[in-house]
Amino acid sequence: MYKAIVFLPLMGFLIAGLFGRAIGTRASQVVTTGSVLLSALLSIVAFFDVALGGNTYSIAVMQWVQSGDLVFDWALKIDTLTVVMLVVVTLVSGLVHVYSIGYMSHDPHNPRFFAYLSLFTFSMLMLVTADNFLQMFFGWEGVGLTSYLLIGFWYKRPAANAAAIKAFIVNRIGDFGFALGLFATFMVFGTVHLDTIFAAVPDVAGSSFLFLGYSFDVMNTICLLLFVGAMGKSAQFGLHTWLPDAMEGPTPVSALIHAATMVTAGVFLVARCSPMFEYAPVALAAVAIVGGVTAIFAATVGLVQNDIKRVIAYSTCSQLGYMFFALGVSAYGAAIFHLFTHAFFKALLFLGAGAVIHAMSDEQDMRKMGGLRKMIPGTYIMMVIGTIALTGFPGTAGFFSKDMVIETAYASTATGSEFAFVMGIFAALMTSFYSWRLMFMTFHGHTRADEAVFRKAHDAPASMMIPLAVLATGALLAGVFFSDLFIGEGRDGFWNGSLFILGDDIIDAAHHVPFVVKLLPFIAMLTGFLLAYQFYIRRPAMPGALAKRFSGLYAFLLNKWYFDELYDFLFVRPAFRIGRFLWKRGDGRIIDGFGPDGISALVLSVARRARALQSGYVYHYAFAMLVGVVLLVTYLLAMSGGA
Amino acid sequence: MIAALSFYLFATVTLLAGLMVILSRNPVHSVLFLILAFFSAAALFVLLGAEFLAMVLIIVYVGAVAVLFLFVVMMLDIDYVQLREGFAQYMPIGGIIGLMLLAELIMVATARMVDPPIGLGSGPAIPDADAVTNTEALGRLLYTDYIYAFQTAGLVLLVAMIGAIVLTHRKRPGVKRQVIADQISRTAKDAIEVVKVKSGEGI
Amino acid sequence: MEQSYPNLIPALPELWLALGALVLLMLGVFRTNHVRRTVNNAAALMLAVAFFLVFAVGPTHQVTFSGLFVSDGFTLFMKALVLLGSGAVLVMSKPYLVDKDIFRFEYPVLVVTATLGMLMMVSANDMLSLYLGLELQSLSLYVLAAFNRDRQRSTEAGLKYFVLGALSSGMLLYGISLIYGFSGTTNFTILAGLYSGGATPSVGVLVGLVFVLAGLAFKISAAPFHMWTPDVYEGAPTPVTAFFAAAPKIAAMALVVRLLMGTFQGLVADWQQLVVFLSIASMVVGAFLALVQTNIKRLMAYSSIGHVGFALVGLAAGTTEGVTSLLVYMAIYLSMTLGAFACILSMRHKEGMCEDISDLAGLAKNQPRMAAALAIFMFSLAGIPLLAGFFGKLLVFLAAISAGLYTLALIGVLASVVGAFYYLRIVKIMYFDEPADAFEAPESRSIGLVMGVTAALNSPLSFFLISPLVAWAGAAAGALVL
Repeated sequence: MYKAIVFLPLMGFLIAGLFGRAIGTRASQVVTTGSVLLSALLSIVAFFDVALGGNTYSIAVMQWVQSGDLVFDWALKIDTLTVVMLVVVTLVSGLVHVYSIGYMSHDPHNPRFFAYLSLFTFSMLMLVTADNFLQMFFGWEGVGLTSYLLIGFWYKRPAANAAAIKAFIVNRIGDFGFALGLFATFMVFGTVHLDTIFAAVPDVAGSSFLFLGYSFDVMNTICLLLFVGAMGKSAQFGLHTWLPDAMEGPTPVSALIHAATMVTAGVFLVARCSPMFEYAPVALAAVAIVGGVTAIFAATVGLVQNDIKRVIAYSTCSQLGYMFFALGVSAYGAAIFHLFTHAFFKALLFLGAGAVIHAMSDEQDMRKMGGLRKMIPGTYIMMVIGTIALTGFPGTAGFFSKDMVIETAYASTATGSEFAFVMGIFAALMTSFYSWRLMFMTFHGHTRADEAVFRKAHDAPASMMIPLAVLATGALLAGVFFSDLFIGEGRDGFWNGSLFILGDDIIDAAHHVPFVVKLLPFIAMLTGFLLAYQFYIRRPAMPGALAKRFSGLYAFLLNKWYFDELYDFLFVRPAFRIGRFLWKRGDGRIIDGFGPDGISALVLSVARRARALQSGYVYHYAFAMLVGVVLLVTYLLAMSGGA
Repeated sequence: MIAALSFYLFATVTLLAGLMVILSRNPVHSVLFLILAFFSAAALFVLLGAEFLAMVLIIVYVGAVAVLFLFVVMMLDIDYVQLREGFAQYMPIGGIIGLMLLAELIMVATARMVDPPIGLGSGPAIPDADAVTNTEALGRLLYTDYIYAFQTAGLVLLVAMIGAIVLTHRKRPGVKRQVIADQISRTAKDAIEVVKVKSGEGI
Repeated sequence: MEQSYPNLIPALPELWLALGALVLLMLGVFRTNHVRRTVNNAAALMLAVAFFLVFAVGPTHQVTFSGLFVSDGFTLFMKALVLLGSGAVLVMSKPYLVDKDIFRFEYPVLVVTATLGMLMMVSANDMLSLYLGLELQSLSLYVLAAFNRDRQRSTEAGLKYFVLGALSSGMLLYGISLIYGFSGTTNFTILAGLYSGGATPSVGVLVGLVFVLAGLAFKISAAPFHMWTPDVYEGAPTPVTAFFAAAPKIAAMALVVRLLMGTFQGLVADWQQLVVFLSIASMVVGAFLALVQTNIKRLMAYSSIGHVGFALVGLAAGTTEGVTSLLVYMAIYLSMTLGAFACILSMRHKEGMCEDISDLAGLAKNQPRMAAALAIFMFSLAGIPLLAGFFGKLLVFLAAISAGLYTLALIGVLASVVGAFYYLRIVKIMYFDEPADAFEAPESRSIGLVMGVTAALNSPLSFFLISPLVAWAGAAAGALVL
């Protein structure tokens, strides 16, 4: 059964990808959607078996490479953490598949799109069922690759191209960290198998290793490296720049990748590696602080964005920050719970936004919307549900998970927890503000849209509305039903050892924080709502006046703290410059570049003259070879002379 | 005594001639010095009792290779002034690298004194010079012990030949060639026509 | 004269190719030029037969020709790769050569002699056979580089390669003479015996080894001996470039491995840092200089330099595991390179062949299959997981880490990240840019075949192939490292 969960989407991909043209659009849709839905059904069954029944499995798929110390087997690790992710991934993916049938109905490349979606789902499943780091890395990279394909799906849009490449490159930087972490783990533990590593962690903790003459704590180093990987995938502060741009992709893709699945891979990674992170206090503090910074940073930027999808994207970024600081204070259960509920309401918001965009003939700018409440009432209701869940209205899913996250931050004594708590409260206020701002600008007031477009606006077809309804149900009820299991009394039996906590369970303490603390998030939410109401319903002129008054701050926020410009200046251009420099000047320069140090001044001046009189290239090439030989011989003699 | 004296004489000449090959301004002189170096090297071979090698050196290298060089050098029109133009500019950096290499190689050469080759004598046994002639010993080496290398060298030369033909040979139109088959198959009937010419009329 | 005849069985593939080359040459010379297609096909067939002969000889350790020639599991692995590389290039060459009007019967003959030289290199067990094999291969390659003799770029490439190749041969010979002078032998087996016991070698042997290494580094185009590569790759006819990038690299790499790991393994402490230096320099040069290239052949040149650097990471480890990883890397490199060149050989406008990266714009629309294949190769070259190229990189880095070469592995990972950028650029151009002029449909089925097979090998299917490959490479490495 577990193999079926993982491989059904792959099958769907293969059929739609290879024979998509032959079997036609409809058949491709049916095959991929059907296989993912079936997989989702099985995942729910698995959820009952594993999470509620208390069973865990390790299922071998195949024996793989064996070379010296290297032994890789391909196996599925099924425990509670895995099945929670399985349910989230397959369920949201299935709904997105269904939704896409309606949303992409005008696109000529349907089979390709559905094939990519299924491939993405498969990669994600590979990731969450990984039994060892290497397998996880496969899934990790597979997810990156398919998201690249999906973001750039509309390849005729230059912006989509740029966004796809950006997502890929930024992710590569994160992957670089992950790869280094993987190598370091292999170096320390001699294996990549998760359970073996976890068992060995207590023995290794506290030891250090030498690198380039410096001594590093082993566990902290490994965990920090892994966290860099997690930051890349989960768009944390510093490596977040790709996420908002990725909104150039089709909206179902945004919902699947950038709300429910791929971006949560980083959260999953840290939770999965909780036995390692627990022994790495520095890394945990870093997680908490980065999470806090991201939460507040993304929220501030979200305040002023005008693109409906970008607002939600920054909101995602901010919510991921919440999850990370929960992880950072060892409240893994709370983080995963927030991941779980967030998947519902954020996918709902994205898909709802998709429905709005669909209704508005592909308009994404909120300044050209307004008053849509009457035209698309169904979508409006869904969006309201998503928004109250996101802002944490009592009783909704977001209320349970987000408040728990904030309370754990308060209760914790770990480094960075106070900071995270304060950031969390402020971010909650802003979340409420920008969410309601989005609602008011889109659905309320007088319309600013084109008369013709506005008149044409209509609710989406059933294939799009049904997924919305399912997600809305989840957004409303997931908290009530599951909070006891994830973070309540039943949590020990539920997690069944798949999360590891060293010392006291922080969630215990979080249940006993002062009532004021429990009230704070609600107050923040209410304040945010009232502010938004004041700004966008009662005094619509106020935002403009404020923006003018604080034009510097406004521009700073609107331009996302100038991160793109900074990176362009710091990394992108220099890399090109190095390449160009080496290329244009390399021939002559290499000669002096390799020159011995003591006479470098002389060499430089000579080489400069030599370059001015470059007559024949062969001459230079031969000389470079000679220099190479001299260098090697000198090195050798210096070494053996010392010996 | 005489042998030692001749050795030093020929060795000195070989070295000096070698030096002059690279130092002389006129390339024709260079080739001539090269020939001198070959001759004195051949004399050194004779001193070692390797008369076959000595003769081969003179016949092949002096008789064929060096003369060919001479022809090529004389036929090519190379502007040596232009070639040397960049010399001054390259001299310092080139000189430094060259000197470093030289110093290192001297270090290596001095190591020779204290470290005799330990694997010597592991190759094919050297035959007794009285029992077999020079030529026969060489033949045995080439055609038995090193037949593989010998054949490979042959292939290398073949490839060189193919290369030369591929890169330079062209079929030129309008060149008359001898076609032996045509010549042989010609009969008198094709070639000769007997014409009776009446006197006083012309053809 | 109780001299017995040398045992010819271990050298069967070489003998077959040598005789075959002569027959092909005669066929070409004495028949009119119409036989050039026959010669080409016959040459391909001959390489195929040689491929089977290699396996017929088998992996048992045999030494023949007075210790000049060796055949074992390692040579089996390397010869198989070399023959695959040569054969694939030969069957892909025709359309390009016909297009440029240089399809002559000497071409297959020279490819066969070059391949013969490579097999000899792989099987060399003595400095003498090493040098002769190397020269046989190089000389054929010089001629091939200049094969388009009426085009200035091609002759320039040939001449450049020749002059610099002669210099590298000079270094090699000088090194050999030093080694002989200071150890008294040129035979690998004896040399291995001399230095395996931990005996301190004379400094002359070490310096000689450096010179030999420099000569061989030229052949595998490791930095700083790489400067010829971009010019020659760009100037030479494309099939020849494909040939350069594939088979000779493998043969020369086999020599490097045989020399360092098989012969001078006892001196690993002395040569390790040199290999590390070559490796780092190659990776860095390959990664950064490729960023700014506009000609795809030039790009492949820098790419090949970079990949040699990665392969050397495995060698630097100086362990059996390292050699295994290197062999796996070279096998994967071969399939990636052949595939990429199959695509380059299909880049053909109405006006003729083209080789600018910008010509690939919008390929995904005009020829989705070729674009998909090329995308697979680029992702694989970049080392993106799920594709074959990733496994190669993973194995070499892990080998380096096991050997304690953390800095090297770190630089390697960094270089691969930079490298990913320019491979990705090609994918971006193919899929996202406004379509340029469409390419003509490929007329050659064999190019399509090579492209398809290598694409399949590099696709995620490689997941299932990697295990037997590693096992085989491990056996080959075990045969070499005693």
